Amino acid sequence: MTSKRILMGNEAIAFGAIKAGVQIASGYPGTPSTEVMETIASHAKEYGIYAEWATNEKVALETAVGAAYSGANAMVTMKQVGLNVASDPLMSLSYIGVKGSFVILVSDDPGPHSSQTEQDTRAFGHFANIPVFDPATPQEAYNMTKLAFKLSHEMETPVILRTTTRVSHGSSDVLIEDLSPVFRDMEGFVKDTRWTIFPKLTAQRHPLLEELQITMSDRFSEYFADNSFNSVSKGSSKIGIAASGVSYLYAKEAIRNHPGTFSVFKAGTVYPFPENAALEFLKDINELIVVEELDPYLEEQFLQVAGKYHLNVNIHGKKDGSFPVSGEYDVDVVIDGVNRVLEDINSDISPLTHSEPAISQNDIPPLPVRAPTLCAGCMHRTVFYAFKKAAAKLRSQKGVDSVFSGDIGCYTLGNAKPLEMVNTCLCMGAGISIAAGLSQTQEYRGTQKAKQVSFIGDSTFFHSGIAAVISAVYNNADITIAVLDNRTTAMTGHQPHPGIGLTALGFPAKIIDIADVLKSCGVGMVKTIEMDTLDECMDMATEAMEFEGPSAIVFKGNCVAICKGQGQYLVDEDKCTGCGLCISQLGCPAIFSISSGLPVIQDTCSGCGLCAEICPSDAIVLREVLQ
Amino acid sequence: MKFDILIAGVGGQGVVLASRLLATAAMDAGLHVATAETIGMAQREGSVTSHVRIGDDVCGSLIPQGNADLLIGLEPGEAARNLRFLRKGASIVVNEHAIMPSTQGSEVYDPMQMLEFLKSNCPDIIFADFTGLAKDAGTYRAANVAMIAAAAGAGLLPFSVEYLWNVLEKMIPEKYRDVNRRAYDMAIESVSKTKAASKDQ
Repeated sequence: MTSKRILMGNEAIAFGAIKAGVQIASGYPGTPSTEVMETIASHAKEYGIYAEWATNEKVALETAVGAAYSGANAMVTMKQVGLNVASDPLMSLSYIGVKGSFVILVSDDPGPHSSQTEQDTRAFGHFANIPVFDPATPQEAYNMTKLAFKLSHEMETPVILRTTTRVSHGSSDVLIEDLSPVFRDMEGFVKDTRWTIFPKLTAQRHPLLEELQITMSDRFSEYFADNSFNSVSKGSSKIGIAASGVSYLYAKEAIRNHPGTFSVFKAGTVYPFPENAALEFLKDINELIVVEELDPYLEEQFLQVAGKYHLNVNIHGKKDGSFPVSGEYDVDVVIDGVNRVLEDINSDISPLTHSEPAISQNDIPPLPVRAPTLCAGCMHRTVFYAFKKAAAKLRSQKGVDSVFSGDIGCYTLGNAKPLEMVNTCLCMGAGISIAAGLSQTQEYRGTQKAKQVSFIGDSTFFHSGIAAVISAVYNNADITIAVLDNRTTAMTGHQPHPGIGLTALGFPAKIIDIADVLKSCGVGMVKTIEMDTLDECMDMATEAMEFEGPSAIVFKGNCVAICKGQGQYLVDEDKCTGCGLCISQLGCPAIFSISSGLPVIQDTCSGCGLCAEICPSDAIVLREVLQ
Repeated sequence: MKFDILIAGVGGQGVVLASRLLATAAMDAGLHVATAETIGMAQREGSVTSHVRIGDDVCGSLIPQGNADLLIGLEPGEAARNLRFLRKGASIVVNEHAIMPSTQGSEVYDPMQMLEFLKSNCPDIIFADFTGLAKDAGTYRAANVAMIAAAAGAGLLPFSVEYLWNVLEKMIPEKYRDVNRRAYDMAIESVSKTKAASKDQ
């Protein structure tokens, strides 16, 4: 029995995995991948699935690999930069292969909307010799997930299911089956030399791995026969369009008013590249337009085929400047790209046309600038401001500057004006190591001494902060670590982690205390503070920054997006002098100034009271006090 | 048939829920639908949009410029930011309640000027303080539901009001259902009054 439901792409993938009989799933949250694991976890009890959040993507992948070695249907989920963390086990795993089945969900983020990089997992699959599926819609994502498990088992290889933001976070009506899963009978782990990678084994396996790439490329070419994920449609001209994933939909809509003109090659299984099908397609094509976000992956594959077989075809895409090399695409971007090619080749096909907007964007009055910012009442704002004040004191009293290294999470938003408290940010867990590196450079280069401070969130600390702490202590780096512990993985939508005593399935778990970890790593000064007043935070920050050698403070509070504060503040207009300090210092989105120059506090105030603490005129008071 | 709706607002205003409600109602009415939402970093007080594409043959989820049939702006500046998506003759429902950006940009943004611009440039416009209306209903957070109710009440959606009402009953958690029902009813009533008033003129 099938039913139709509105599903987000990530939910569709989770249901596809459940239908395919996933038995164990592990992952680490990361936009836009997070809801896959959340959906599996919320249905885990119902279907008898084991699901967990691991401390990081490498651990998640290895955990799922262990299950697959036992013959289970296993899955791991992460975002594209998570794959970098997991790349060490992944690169070796392709040689070893799996027994049950093993699907790796990786979400790319063209734009990027919420990521450090615009990397392309299709290219990563190529690099790692692991097949990559690239669905275009939530429906395809559901269907392809099932196929990914099947292929993985059959070929004894991990399979990457790669999505982009618009597939992961797009919703549509999806036809799904009755989800009762069919579990594989697990043989259990059988001892065998095949599971122990060793130079000799690698040397034996490598030729087989390369052979498998050819077998799968041939298989993927055969997939074009049933026109499901891979398809070809013939047009009247000698111009072809090739696309994969969501870009295919943009291309389809862009050429809608030219029905039957262009031949279209749509690849859903993108690596290993379906070479035979591509060769067949190119036979009737003189000009090929490749439409794809991120890397020119398909473009390079087609160039290779054209060169290998000496085909008389020009290939247009990113490499000849027809399409943008970066950023997210949409229908309008594709129309411009196709038109550039049509013009370049002096085609007699009329250009594709944009729809005319009703109102010119040029006539619009000045728009508000809205950069993402820390929520009203966020505890991070108080900690950042405390360190800012403590650093100013250190500078004025001792002439010592401070450098603030940030990390990945909501608190990256501490970089925004007026706080400007993130001087470096690179990747998960890098804040501590970079601070250590900056401090060591001073030791040896004799540059002007600055106090190195790093900020790290609770989940990020568990993800990749601990090894950096140990290294900093071992090498006696003079750094201060501020752990911003809001007891959740906030940016990705509040997943549990090892510090809060709850598993992904909602079971109680042992709490790993961050301060205990820091102490056992040998950090000289470790203090924990339950977030209360700004003054307390400032005193703590000063003490830690004046400490010689590694020091750490764990600031414990609640994420205001989960635990709304008590009460709301407002401005007592009789007392307010209009100095503007509450606005210019904090950047709280609940406060703005009106034309009279006085600040106004909006309904989104969650009552943290930070603005009241810094108001020199005591003009910011709790609503119930004034009313 | 195709009907493209763009919902624009500020992170935290419930833009994602609004598009989910519309998408589910459209599916219940027997139509295909594809949406694109803003989830992640931009949700933290940034500009957010949801694209909702309804029709017989829905393609990608992002609306091309000049294609939207309806723009629902939960904030005047955010409505204006997305005007390029509107086709000629499209409708716009806009919330008069402005959200001022903190610190930066507040010196240039004039919500009154923005509203005047929208009113004089968009012939088919419905505007009201939907946040105030929602606040009267019980919580300012229900402005999103009030606005889609207003669009439904004004006959701007490609399916009947009952589908939306049923989805609301189904998808809003019990705890918040009453306040959302009130916001829904008040919004429908307010647009019917507006319509009656404009007929009288």
